[in-house]
Amino acid sequence: MLKYDQIADMTEDETYFSSGYPVHMYGLSEQSVTIEFGAVINEELLSLITAFNQFLLQNPFSGLITTIPAYCTLTVYFDPLMVLASDLPGIYSFDKVSAYLKKLGETRRMQSDTLSNRFVIPVCYGGGMGADMFAVAKANNLSEAEVVERHSSVLYTVYMIGFVPGFAYMGGMDPSLATPRKEIPDAKIPAGSVGIAGMQTGIYPMETPGGWQIIGRTPLKMFDVNRKQPSLIKGGDIVSFKAIGIEEFNAYSGR
Amino acid sequence: MSMKISIIKPGLLTTVQDMGRYRYLSQAVPISGAMDQLAHRLANKAVGNEDHMATIEFTYDNASFKAETDVLLAYSGDGAFLLYHDQLMPAEKPLFFPAGAIIKLISNPIGVRIYLSVAGGWEVPDIMESKSTYIIAGFGGFEGRALQKGDVLTSSDDINEVSKGILDQLQRRALTYPNWRISRESLLPQKRDTVRVVLANEINWFDATSIISFLTHTYTIDRRSNRMGYHLNGKALLRKVKKELLSTGVTPGIIQVTGSGELVILMADCQTTGGYPRIAHVAAVDLPLCAQLKPGSEIRFSEISRDEAEELYLEREHDLSLITTAISLKYMNI
Repeated sequence: MLKYDQIADMTEDETYFSSGYPVHMYGLSEQSVTIEFGAVINEELLSLITAFNQFLLQNPFSGLITTIPAYCTLTVYFDPLMVLASDLPGIYSFDKVSAYLKKLGETRRMQSDTLSNRFVIPVCYGGGMGADMFAVAKANNLSEAEVVERHSSVLYTVYMIGFVPGFAYMGGMDPSLATPRKEIPDAKIPAGSVGIAGMQTGIYPMETPGGWQIIGRTPLKMFDVNRKQPSLIKGGDIVSFKAIGIEEFNAYSGR
Repeated sequence: MSMKISIIKPGLLTTVQDMGRYRYLSQAVPISGAMDQLAHRLANKAVGNEDHMATIEFTYDNASFKAETDVLLAYSGDGAFLLYHDQLMPAEKPLFFPAGAIIKLISNPIGVRIYLSVAGGWEVPDIMESKSTYIIAGFGGFEGRALQKGDVLTSSDDINEVSKGILDQLQRRALTYPNWRISRESLLPQKRDTVRVVLANEINWFDATSIISFLTHTYTIDRRSNRMGYHLNGKALLRKVKKELLSTGVTPGIIQVTGSGELVILMADCQTTGGYPRIAHVAAVDLPLCAQLKPGSEIRFSEISRDEAEELYLEREHDLSLITTAISLKYMNI
């Protein structure tokens, strides 16, 4: 654990909090603080938040419980009693935690320390696996084969995990596939369904209601409580899709 | 020497819960846990348990269970009373029941939920470091689901010195309990329909009259209310800033305002992120009051500062630690 007064003062460029994004901190509850880094969705901001999150988790303050990275924010959970017992400056836990986060944010940013994994996700597109494939193709004046080709030929960036356990919001989709979400959500979307909503694509890890346009399904378990990291992918990861046939899909499921 | 009960009638929604699942929020795994954390903790303290041990959360009455062995139980909360041999069982104190006892839950008009503890805590597997049930994804608690008729719940056989001390004093061939009880009332504010709130980051997105409405009008709990959140009926709030909030971390107690101006209080099973602007968050010390509000109940909001909310939190934690100390001193063999 890093001692507060051992964190070097670095006010030059390349600190976490001086990357051109205005940093604002607010108390979310008695046991959480949110750092807001801006109000846009882009990859530069994502990599800043991912890097700062990893740096904070490697250098926790006394009482840190966990963090939630999102598009433009990082929410930090803590135990107020442990924070108050620490020697961080300030009277209230918000002051102490935000003083620590500010000091950490003003240290030199390591460019190479961000760990992001790459995943190739097999997807069986269309047919019974992608109930809305026809609608997505029609809305964009494309053939179904073109939808598959364009959806499975780019790299996606995972912006955040939200909605339900393991649901990854991914950006980077070919704009010609953008399709608005459904006016009336479906009551049941099968686990593994790959969907499109606006400019984003995502995978439903479990059967839930949902409004995304479903174009296919992966046989992979996106969320499994028996794994050390239950969610297959995490914020900051890079994902691509590989089209597979129904036989291959069934072979996966049989495993 | 673990203790067992079997469920005769499960009631509306009966789940195993603890203090919540915090370590996997970044994977969108909700906190879950007891809706009324205060009642959960008091039920645990009354049998000498640590606060984090699992209890059973019952929703309203219409449930019953049988002691399959001798059991040392306690309950707390406003959703029901325990009834044994036509006798109302006192809350917030250890209750020793002999094997074979059949215990019923009968209506308490005040609230929604009670918590049933057992010496040693209810034993279910730890899923992601918690015993809480999250029904939507089907994991945690008892097989990831609500309890059903015939389910047998077992306590951990590893009970601490305090629980042993209580058990030694109470164990007979009939119902026994001590004279003392924990005073839950003294921990709760007198006005149960007013909850204290701290204004949230997007407060200036709302127009001034709407903020005043929020802090002066009475709202009622809508039928669309569950462990994820409560929808409120009442004056809709208008926004002066129309921009969109990009999904960001949220937590139980946060009051969101939907596109139509409706208030939603997020509760234990809420999503980890949300995209509605937030007007306030319920002070942690008053969240247990919300957990006992039923559809149709009235609720008002009064503003306090972030610092006051923390002082109230510390005061509550201090009072709770005194209760633990008092019970430990009474029963530990020193």
